Amino acid sequence: MKCEEYREAIEADPSFDGNAGHLSECAGCQAYRTEMLALEQTIGRALRLDVPELRVPELPELSTSKADNVTTLRKRSWAPLTTPTWFAMAATVVVAALLGIRLLSTGIEHQSLADQILAHVDHEPYALRVTDVAVSDERLASVVPANVARMDHSAGLITYAQSCVINGHEVPHLVIQGERGPVTILLMPQEMILEAQILAGENVNGVILPVGNGSIAIIGESGESLERIQQQVMKSATWST
Amino acid sequence: MQSSKAAALRRQRFDQYVAVYHQDMYRYAAWLSRDRSIAEDVVQESLMRAWKSLDALRDEAAAKQWLLTIVRRENARYFERKRLETVDIDNLTASQAALLAEQPDEEIDHMRHAIYELDDDYREPLVLQVLMGYSTSEIAEQMGLKQGAVLTRLHRARAKLREQMAKP
Repeated sequence: MKCEEYREAIEADPSFDGNAGHLSECAGCQAYRTEMLALEQTIGRALRLDVPELRVPELPELSTSKADNVTTLRKRSWAPLTTPTWFAMAATVVVAALLGIRLLSTGIEHQSLADQILAHVDHEPYALRVTDVAVSDERLASVVPANVARMDHSAGLITYAQSCVINGHEVPHLVIQGERGPVTILLMPQEMILEAQILAGENVNGVILPVGNGSIAIIGESGESLERIQQQVMKSATWST
Repeated sequence: MQSSKAAALRRQRFDQYVAVYHQDMYRYAAWLSRDRSIAEDVVQESLMRAWKSLDALRDEAAAKQWLLTIVRRENARYFERKRLETVDIDNLTASQAALLAEQPDEEIDHMRHAIYELDDDYREPLVLQVLMGYSTSEIAEQMGLKQGAVLTRLHRARAKLREQMAKP
């Protein structure tokens, strides 16, 4: 390794410990390394800004479990109930529980679809890996079952496939490697929208497209050519529902 | 009863994350926005978003990355909303200048100015590496870049800082 390459390597990562042979023989690179380590200490100290006292915003109360939506019946103290009354009560509890679950699954916070999509992308950062390893056909088929949609690899290099919940519905969450980085695709056969919605943001260059009775969200990094991906995805995804 | 216990546990979990990562969140936001006041707003918004979506975080080990990703997105949204123009270092607002408040150590002062003047593309990976302890592959993942691009940016960032620090 030449001096220039070695110096570039420690400039990129001062903890670089490769090529010890070159370092031991090159006084110039030894001096440069010492200089860079000193610079690194100064950078670290300069970056450590004083942090003001923590102010936690007023947090809204959120529903934390399905139990929140099930009414708890008071203990009744009167005479034993007859069998038909027991049946009626049991039915009421079941209905209340089902309603509770239904309410929970339809989104208690009433966030817009776009908000939910952005929040979901935020919370699965590990999906956004830059990689050239495609998911297997089996994995893709299990996440995008044939009775939901048909999706093949012609859309691009699919490197992530997971079933996720958006707006109370399980939807296939895929990541395709775009030109500028990973691009998130959410296939939402049950989310009907009337017109395309743009998802704006520095790093959220995206769109939700109406497709049949559902929609597809495509979210990439700023500057990503989404049009090409849109065309590919629209060509390769067909709703079966 | 059961739900109030669940709510308390949820709050406890949130408070633990905030206690551990608040400083990282603030410093990351401050160096992304280069403005102390904006950083505080971004952190507030990020905490709110994190609270609402806490249940989506299933891997405890990913909490830091999760919170920093939220900060990154909130910062981007803030600037998207405000459409702020490029900062001219000779014409700073009070909260921008506060980031560069004079330090007793002249070397730190000098370095802070030099970091402030780095392009966003160079400053962010440097903050993630030096301050957050991210590896270059983790930075690549966080920023949606290839690892080679991250290495180039870091190398250029340090070369620029070295050059700036050599100036009187």
